[in-house]
Amino acid sequence: MKQPLRLTVNGQPTEALVSPGTSLLTFLRETCGLTGPKRGCEEGECGCCAVLLDGKLVDSCLIFALEAEGAEVLTVEGLRGDAAGRPDHLAPVQQAFAEAGASQCGFCMPGMLLATASLLERNPAPGDDEIRRAISGNLCRCTGYTPIVKAIRLAAALKRQG
Amino acid sequence: MHDVTYHAPTSLAEALRLLGNDPAHTRPLAGGTDLHLQMERGGNAWRHVVDLKRIAELAGIARNPDGGYTIGALTLAAEVESHVDLAADYPALAQGAACIGGPPIRNRATLGGNVCNASPAADSSPPLLALGARAVVAGAEGTRELPLADLWRGPRQTTLAPGELLTALRLPPPPVRGGSAFTRLTRSAMDIALVNAAAQVALDAQGHIAQAALALGAVAPVVLLVPQAAEAVRGRAWSAELAAEVARLASAAAQPIDDIRASADYRREMAGVLAARAMAQAVERARAAGGVATAGTSGAAGKSDKAGATGKATARQRPGRRGAP
Repeated sequence: MKQPLRLTVNGQPTEALVSPGTSLLTFLRETCGLTGPKRGCEEGECGCCAVLLDGKLVDSCLIFALEAEGAEVLTVEGLRGDAAGRPDHLAPVQQAFAEAGASQCGFCMPGMLLATASLLERNPAPGDDEIRRAISGNLCRCTGYTPIVKAIRLAAALKRQG
Repeated sequence: MHDVTYHAPTSLAEALRLLGNDPAHTRPLAGGTDLHLQMERGGNAWRHVVDLKRIAELAGIARNPDGGYTIGALTLAAEVESHVDLAADYPALAQGAACIGGPPIRNRATLGGNVCNASPAADSSPPLLALGARAVVAGAEGTRELPLADLWRGPRQTTLAPGELLTALRLPPPPVRGGSAFTRLTRSAMDIALVNAAAQVALDAQGHIAQAALALGAVAPVVLLVPQAAEAVRGRAWSAELAAEVARLASAAAQPIDDIRASADYRREMAGVLAARAMAQAVERARAAGGVATAGTSGAAGKSDKAGATGKATARQRPGRRGAP
């Protein structure tokens, strides 16, 4: 039987009736139409489905949508907007990844960007060890991670400049 | 998984009532990082899932009047890993918690969930066992407390009665001139431990080992204490000979199996290596804590402490994935 769910998704108050077995990932993709979070391993290994749940990086494939009752969810779609507040521009984190050429196939990008946003929230000037540790739950099969680490360094610098 | 009802009680009493209604078909939910996979793989008869995350009294790390700690079962691995006082008093536990999966897993996985999943390879379990943790269990009949080792029956099996919940883990006060450490072996990043080990020691004023504990994971159906090793080191100064003896006793205590990750022989051998390393690092930390002078090792102790707390790139693991080793 479906149960009621109320939460905030990318700043939008959202209400729905969902089956208890529905994962947050499925809810976001199929009910909210947000396909930023990707369906990768569905085992909490790859981090492609990662979102911020009340500010914390989590794998949305391992969470029932109902567990997010009352929570604020941020997907990569919610990252848009530059430092000047222009919503049709890339966020500084996204800008840095583009400039560093850190994306190839792009499948890991939503998770990587949110892992970066979460890291920079806690630590505006992370070292390479901290950067590597922060993305250790996000797999990339293309880049070998070096451009991603470079992008995160750049994102930190852009963010500090404001 | 289609006819499940989701419950989110806000008090322990309400949770116990829900669990008691239909214990055979009701499953408590903590972080869910293991439970979701079990549900997807099917084969269960769960009709009710009771989410414990809204019960405030089950979460958090508190200092006890005796200097020990009570860690709520719903405390996140990320919180255990980053709690400054806990990490200072019990570095082995912070190290172990830091090895559970990647950051998105540790932001969700709970200490109680890692314990109750009862994987013999769980990375928080050897530290908790070596540190002398006790399990606080609540049920319809009231609350009981038991040594952690008595909570595990076998791989993925606990001694909890249907309707009972692990509510907290209680750690005794850290010993004077004490130190602890966790070591772990994996073949690749994000993999489950092939073998893991934790040790705690306390030194006397002369720098001899006054007491010790050693725990091994992934080498038996449950995480093991190795009392023979603890006995062998008591009253002695740490040395290369003693390290070899600890390794020999740890290998002898291991009862590993062959599986896809490693052979039983390799696990037995590595159990000894990891045990000796864990104890050596615990001794170094105890020396640093107690200001006990040593022949050229105290400087290295500080460095290895730092490396240990940060963890290595391969030191990532989610709780009890892919079955028992």
